[in-house]
Amino acid sequence: MTPSLPSPKFKEFGGGVPKGRRGRGLDRRAAFWFLYIPPLFWLSLFFLIPLFLMFLYSFRADMRGSIFASWQPALDQYIKLSSTASYWRLLGVSVLTAFFIAFVSVALSYPVAYFLAFHARERFGFYLVLLLVPFWTSYLLRVMAWKIMLGTEGVINSFLIYLDVIREPLTSLLYNRSAVIVTLIYVWIPFATLPILAALQRIDISLFEAAADLGARPLRQFLRITLPLSLPGVFASFFMVFIPTVGEYVTPLLVGGSSGMLYGNIIQDFFTKAANWPFGSAMSMVMLAGTLVFVFFATRIVNLKDLLE
Amino acid sequence: MKPKRPGYLFAMGTMLALVLILSACGGAPAEVPPEEMTGALSVLDWAGYDAEDFWIDFKNAYPNVTVNFEIGISDADIYAKMAAGNQADVFHPYTGWLQFYVDEGLVEEIDTSKLSNWDKVPDHFKQIGQIDGKQYFIPWDWGFTSILYRTDMVPEGVDSWAALMDPKYAGHISMWDDGPGAVTVSSYIHGYDETAITDEQLAAIKEEWIAQRGLNLFYWAGEPELIEAMTSGDVWVAYAWQGAYATLLANGVPVAYANPKEGRNSWVGVYGIRKGTDNMDLALKFLDAKLAEATGNNVVNLFYYGHSNQDVMNGITDETLKEAFSVDDPSILEKTNFTPNLTAEQRDAWTAMWAEVKAAP
Repeated sequence: MTPSLPSPKFKEFGGGVPKGRRGRGLDRRAAFWFLYIPPLFWLSLFFLIPLFLMFLYSFRADMRGSIFASWQPALDQYIKLSSTASYWRLLGVSVLTAFFIAFVSVALSYPVAYFLAFHARERFGFYLVLLLVPFWTSYLLRVMAWKIMLGTEGVINSFLIYLDVIREPLTSLLYNRSAVIVTLIYVWIPFATLPILAALQRIDISLFEAAADLGARPLRQFLRITLPLSLPGVFASFFMVFIPTVGEYVTPLLVGGSSGMLYGNIIQDFFTKAANWPFGSAMSMVMLAGTLVFVFFATRIVNLKDLLE
Repeated sequence: MKPKRPGYLFAMGTMLALVLILSACGGAPAEVPPEEMTGALSVLDWAGYDAEDFWIDFKNAYPNVTVNFEIGISDADIYAKMAAGNQADVFHPYTGWLQFYVDEGLVEEIDTSKLSNWDKVPDHFKQIGQIDGKQYFIPWDWGFTSILYRTDMVPEGVDSWAALMDPKYAGHISMWDDGPGAVTVSSYIHGYDETAITDEQLAAIKEEWIAQRGLNLFYWAGEPELIEAMTSGDVWVAYAWQGAYATLLANGVPVAYANPKEGRNSWVGVYGIRKGTDNMDLALKFLDAKLAEATGNNVVNLFYYGHSNQDVMNGITDETLKEAFSVDDPSILEKTNFTPNLTAEQRDAWTAMWAEVKAAP
């Protein structure tokens, strides 16, 4: 195993701040201002405040009046939303789709991360760059590339016609939900690999030696050591893919066609096509609440903190 | 290290103060001495219209004035931005989306006596920019909407808007991604009064488009997307603006633009001036230059859309363009249905209907 991060196991011996240094409050305060203020400022200005405005917007009855104008809080949007079954159904479909995409992405990423961590050896840097190359290309371009792959005159169809497997191009490849799923899994694999890789690299190699000395075969070593110790990375990957995919709208817009829309597309429509920010905000809040509840229970069940120790 | 509470609160307080100051500063006056004509004008427009070609007369006449463009991606987007307090001096909505700017006091009445090119605009165009008898908007670009089809794939031709729902073309139809557009098509097919759609009619329209979705390949959002799919042969029949028709004709793709028995649709783009702008003088000069000939010719020749200056339209010689505007067949224009203005209630109900079509199982 070539490059490896320092093992967190050291924490048990020297981890945490020694008691004696607690007195140096000034340093701590300076460090706080220096380290926390810039990102906090950025997050507040461009994330928390807009999010809060959106929360407020969801209680407006309509679009009339500017952003900072006062209005009578109303539940109109939530009442309308709760009575439209198709939106709830689509939210469910989006959650299931995201779950499936996250599961497959992680399952496909694991072998990649495993290879990088244990078998790439001196070519680790090269393979890692290969994995990261897609990030240098615009996301939109990569999704467009899938249109070229899956289109009726696309790579797959042309190849199959050339091989005489089919006469007429398959039209079922593009413009449906399967195209969205295939494209998103492709997009997420490099992302999902990194947290798993980090977790695998943290595993103390002497554990394998000890296991081998005690007669554990490779499969047993994997099941008893590698897999459990890499689980934090696996779960981190899963959530990293799952959470943004629930609200995904760009990919369905490009390859989903008229029947491959996800909940995020409807939210986007209410902002850009319907001039109905209050309703779009209410839909966003429902999705946000749903995702938070899901993550809350998931972290309860998995107990990330225990895993990370 | 945990952030301490007082520091956190202080940061939030600073942020809030900053936001309040910024929002208060939004309407800062920009003094413009008319004789020198420097200064800056801000325009909320559609992507592509920010190119100098489409305001070249202004650029040439007032080289020291800076024109800043902000891009809106749809009528809804432009309206929502203006309603939320966008500070653009000039904005560019289309027919259908005009009434609520007036109702909500977002647009200034235009003093047309200050526009030197106003006389070149035909009366029926002028009327499109009038609401409650006042000239709130000046008409600028216009075009048809109809059914565009591949003549090789649809040799029998298309004579009705119902072609968009014909199972014969399943998987090769593309509708525009727009609720009011869908209501318009259904109204033409069934003879509904588009300005007075009832709840029952809207419910029927929703079911109709849910059924259509199974035949529809994708809803197009921008012309390039539609042009690509019609060129490749994925789409045979589509709801389309004439810009797509002219582009495909010029590229040698076998297409025709239907003259449906219900009549074509036509839309007009207009410019309005934000109520309360401190830049009224520059804004009027900008709009006047927008109506001038060089700018108009660019709209016709580069985007294949019509221009409200009649001199520009009379000067068209190109055969493809004549075909696209149906210049030689005035009966087409006589049968054309102009897009009526939506009320805020119609806008909300029709866009919600469309969202439910897309969300339907």
